[in-house]
Amino acid sequence: MEITSRIDGDLVHLRVVGSLDASTSPNVEEAVNAAIGGGRRSVIFDLQELNYISSAGLRALLLAAKKAKAAGGGVAVFGLQPAVTEVFTIAGFGKIVSIASNDADARDKLSGQRG
Amino acid sequence: MTQLTLADEIVVLMLDDTMGEVNQACIAVAGVAIAGGILMELALRENIDTDLKTLFVVNPRQTGDYLLDAILQEIAAEPEQHSSAWWIDQLAVRHDDLLGQILARLVTAGILREEERRFLWVFSRRAYPQVSGREEREAKARLMSVLFNDEVPNPRDTLLLGLARSTDVLSTILSSEQLDKAYDRIEEVAALEEIGRSVGLVSSQIREAMATMLATYH
Repeated sequence: MEITSRIDGDLVHLRVVGSLDASTSPNVEEAVNAAIGGGRRSVIFDLQELNYISSAGLRALLLAAKKAKAAGGGVAVFGLQPAVTEVFTIAGFGKIVSIASNDADARDKLSGQRG
Repeated sequence: MTQLTLADEIVVLMLDDTMGEVNQACIAVAGVAIAGGILMELALRENIDTDLKTLFVVNPRQTGDYLLDAILQEIAAEPEQHSSAWWIDQLAVRHDDLLGQILARLVTAGILREEERRFLWVFSRRAYPQVSGREEREAKARLMSVLFNDEVPNPRDTLLLGLARSTDVLSTILSSEQLDKAYDRIEEVAALEEIGRSVGLVSSQIREAMATMLATYH
């Protein structure tokens, strides 16, 4: 898995490539902790190139949502591949994070949450 | 015992405080809940992981908990990969043994005490009343917090709620009005975790089979 991070105001964009599972989810948690600890409030996950997510991966996103909400922000994701969409749908994950169609939509959804 | 595992916690929650044994409402699915609790704990400790089709070992290192380690070893030794529901079925049939081990360690940890009680003047049975009830109160408080606070739940509490939902423990904690009010939240949180969904599925299958059997004989 590859993860790249870009700070943009009070947001952090995390682009996650490959598989998100028990062996790679600590990297996501570390990136989220660094961003929230550094004063960011919200996280946008670009998952266009994420082709697999396990329960541990989903748990890492759940923790990201918990931390972002505690910081007064939220989490939005976009670019879900069909296999990832299926996992999100079965878990009802759309009630925890905002599922957006693209980066701009993700920003809109997060600014709506922040009022 | 520093922190109770999810299997320990669901056993504490399933115990009837007066009788000192597993509540009759939970007994049919107690094995499923214990099996689910063990697998969930291994998942939280990042020894195993699951997806929509399979449960697999990601780290075979020992946890230091003999009950978890025995099951982890068993999963690691299995040549084929199976779903979490398959593993729950496999482990749940060992309900008596697993429950006995958990009760014994809760006694050793000073959370329960073991008593010999008589009934019908002749027969005796073992009962496991709680020593202080603190662990049960804490677990219930966490469940209530998940249900009635609008926070994103943490993974451990999400998993505990999945176990509590499948065993009907929630109906011993909440009034029917509270249960109605929390229904959507219970379903929403319990769906988040794959092993929680499997515990719910296997529990429902057992309850349906029992209902069919009762309908056949009455």
